[in-house]
Amino acid sequence: MNKKQISITLGIMCFLLTIAICVQIRTTNLANSTVSQTLSDNELRDQVLKMKERYDNTYREIENAQKELEKIRLTATQNDKTAEAKEQELKENNMILGNTDVTGDGVEIVLEDAKASNTSLNLSAQLIHYSDIQLVVNELKNAGAEAIEVNGQRLVATSAITCEGNIIKINNERIGSPFTIRAIGSQELLYGGLSRIGSILDVIRDGGNTANITKVDDITIPKYSGVISYKYLKENK
Amino acid sequence: MIFIAIVLGCIIGALIGINMPMISYTYSGYLAIAIIAALDSVFGGIASTLNKNFDLKIFVSGFFGNAILSILLTYLGQKLNVDIYLAAIVVFVGRMFNNLAIIRRYYIEKWGKRAEKNVEIDNSNNAKN
Repeated sequence: MNKKQISITLGIMCFLLTIAICVQIRTTNLANSTVSQTLSDNELRDQVLKMKERYDNTYREIENAQKELEKIRLTATQNDKTAEAKEQELKENNMILGNTDVTGDGVEIVLEDAKASNTSLNLSAQLIHYSDIQLVVNELKNAGAEAIEVNGQRLVATSAITCEGNIIKINNERIGSPFTIRAIGSQELLYGGLSRIGSILDVIRDGGNTANITKVDDITIPKYSGVISYKYLKENK
Repeated sequence: MIFIAIVLGCIIGALIGINMPMISYTYSGYLAIAIIAALDSVFGGIASTLNKNFDLKIFVSGFFGNAILSILLTYLGQKLNVDIYLAAIVVFVGRMFNNLAIIRRYYIEKWGKRAEKNVEIDNSNNAKN
């Protein structure tokens, strides 16, 4: 056994080893930054990470399946005028239902809880409640908003805005202050409807909370990430 | 020569490892135990090189065999709800210390001898003068 051979093998082994160590360190670093670092919660942390991973994987699978479906639909409707029209209709319906990302001009409203230093007698008024969000959304819809999103959650026909103790849930996802509500629609109507004196934003501001509305061009509102399923619906013949 | 190869391997490995895709968290426990096993093999390899009884076949089979075996044992332990990986860590780290001790002794002896020689040379020089 000559020395050259030995050193080459050892070098290759060390090479493999350092690759593995680097990958491992990066993985654990990521895991630590995602969830809390206390040692006693290690088991729970493990479980949370594994669940999150499984969720992400499943979500990716769904996305891939949707892409596949889109592709199949495209090839099936090629060279067919009526099918193309149907395809267009399908696309428009998906846009309205919240199944695709949409862009357009609109407004952005930011609601934020009052600062702790604010000494108002009515403590409850210093928080943004789920009802405030409901009212804002309602006003937006009244002013003709075509797509609405709250902290990344697209509002669709089945969306509920609920109060779960100290957090608010939309589409069963937890969201917290500050709330960014974005809506696509006529900028003048939306802005005018919500910035008038005595509007819901004025009421929210009364408690010491922050409520700002700005016109924003080219808002992108993400699609609804859940699945709209039904059990009791039947077609009316 | 050997240490140049090791350092070179480590540097290239680190550079590639930083840019590699991350593995999923579920498998990082297995990778950790495989790393310990491989680290033990490398130290064993260095120690046996110093002792001049290095065998390539034993080294390579130990490197991969130990890693794979420890992963399998960890997996089995998870299925049986016993922390077998603890036993693997104890064994591997114990051996690692043994090998490190061999390496340490070798160099201390080597340098000790060299120092003695230098002292002798100095003494003889002084005697001449």
